[in-house]
Amino acid sequence: MTRRFLTSEDVRREQSGEIVVDETTLVTPQALETAREAGVRIRTASGEWSEPEPDRGPDAERAMHALPHLPEPEDNPSLSSSAIVTAVGKNRGGVLAEITAAIAGIGGNVHDVSQKVVEGYFHMILTVELPPEGSFDQLKSCLECLGNPDDFAVRVMNERVFRFMHRV
Amino acid sequence: MSPPWHPKPFFNGLQPMTFSDREILETVRMVELETLDIRTTTLGISLFDCADPDLESTCEKVYAKILHHASNLVEVAESISSDYGIPIVNKRIAVTPISWVAAASGARDLTPLARALDAAAREVGVDFIGGFSAYVQKGFTHADRAVFDSIPSALAATERVCASVSLGSTQAGINMDAVAQFSDAILEAARLTADRGGLACAKLVCFCNAVQDNPFVAGAHIGVGEPETVLSVGVSGPGVVRSALERLDPDADLLSVAETVKRTAFKVTRMGELVGREAAKRLGTRFGIVDVSLAPTPAIGDSVGAILELIGVERTGGPGTTAALALLTDAVKKGGAMASSCVGGLSGAFIPVSEDQGMIDAVAEGALSLAKLEAMTSVCSVGLDMIAVPGDTSAATLTGLIADEMAIGMMNHKTTAVRVIPVPGKGPGETVEWGGLLGTAIVQDPGRFGCSGLHARAGRIPAPALGYRN
Repeated sequence: MTRRFLTSEDVRREQSGEIVVDETTLVTPQALETAREAGVRIRTASGEWSEPEPDRGPDAERAMHALPHLPEPEDNPSLSSSAIVTAVGKNRGGVLAEITAAIAGIGGNVHDVSQKVVEGYFHMILTVELPPEGSFDQLKSCLECLGNPDDFAVRVMNERVFRFMHRV
Repeated sequence: MSPPWHPKPFFNGLQPMTFSDREILETVRMVELETLDIRTTTLGISLFDCADPDLESTCEKVYAKILHHASNLVEVAESISSDYGIPIVNKRIAVTPISWVAAASGARDLTPLARALDAAAREVGVDFIGGFSAYVQKGFTHADRAVFDSIPSALAATERVCASVSLGSTQAGINMDAVAQFSDAILEAARLTADRGGLACAKLVCFCNAVQDNPFVAGAHIGVGEPETVLSVGVSGPGVVRSALERLDPDADLLSVAETVKRTAFKVTRMGELVGREAAKRLGTRFGIVDVSLAPTPAIGDSVGAILELIGVERTGGPGTTAALALLTDAVKKGGAMASSCVGGLSGAFIPVSEDQGMIDAVAEGALSLAKLEAMTSVCSVGLDMIAVPGDTSAATLTGLIADEMAIGMMNHKTTAVRVIPVPGKGPGETVEWGGLLGTAIVQDPGRFGCSGLHARAGRIPAPALGYRN
């Protein structure tokens, strides 16, 4: 019989000093404590019991692969490794250089830049391709700490957000 | 070379897609200035396998199963938030209605089970857990009765547990015995939390035509037909819609207004879909639904009332409000349906009075009465939500209020709900402050006429002819 759970009541009912459960059995925290106090050993057929990986249900795996068409191909991970960087602030010399230097510092490749200056304020949009080993997180933390509230502010968003929002 | 009648590939090879500056700035503005966020990522967990003849063992299993499945929910949501640059405000859990789980135990007092849910929610770091629920639209099982009897003490004794009950449906009619008992439960819950302004009632809701995949509290739970675990998302976005309408030409006609709302809802829903899919993938579970609801918050500008006023109503509650709300709800649904094949839950516009600054102001100015609110619920996506009434409101009056709302849902094939808070010690016009997302309410007057005759009759309102559609 497959046992889904082992509770402290199950442990108390057990006369011998050992309970054999399935690999997938979930032993409640209270059962573990009761077993420890009573000196009962909980094991599986192959050794000590440890918490199994969560079983999300019989069709969880399949459901993930059976998603309807989306504005992106499923088999092309490189497409999801682009980031869109926007910066706004007061215009001064060297702003673009500072931002692109930081991007180059982690090996990012700037695909597209556009910039406008209106009455002393600039806004800048860069499409950045991340290096294969580079993480989005790294780019984000390295860019968002540039500038300060009196100078300019940078925001980094994943390209997928724009793809989902603006493409049917 | 593929034959010319084969569809052309949608994507242009490895090149990243290009977006115009306008598109990019629009998205950034939505997140930075217009409070666009993912309101909730809710993990649904089936608890059917936790049923046990012993209540204490049931509690143990429930606690262990929730911890087992949800221990990394908060971590996953936060990693997505940082990877995509989209704020995810709340992480929540929805479970199988507890009356089905507790039935095998035969227990009369289910407060221990509520405590187990609360402890599990605290342990995994979610702010609410929904599912202290029962379905009684046709009648009570012993376990349903136990849930009703335990609701006041369970809500008073816990912090994060939300309770919901289904009192009617188009197919079954309205169980007026249950409505009367629910009114008693509301009054008792308010009494037990009198020191906190009757706060327990803010976690308690009743439904007609309850939806079984709703990710929003207080009504969140997962019903029969739902999988073992499922991740659903609720998006928000009144601020985004309001701002889009502000940019619209003030002379634009109503078709343009509907079109603007629809386009905005499309974009907001797509963001929900992206986050939901990614969260489901990272958790290894399936993606359930995205609930496309305009869910207001007390934050400035994040108001459904403000949208109605932009459409052209002088004050929310004035003439034209119901028509404007109908346009809004429908346009949101249409935009959402185009954006995602997995739209579900309540999807429309919420009108929780105390959580919406525009509505609070409208009540304060005397524009928004309880009667007008009831009319609005016939076209909004839920019902009478977060409404404060005097603490001395009778059970009969509450029964009437709830039965009216259930009747609107039953006759219109739609979900309606009531979340009403009788605030102990307060009378009409007085203010009560719950804080946080729950906001501020002005106690509304249910009128001086009652319905004790209807309350005393009890029994059932039969299903309408339009319920027999087979």
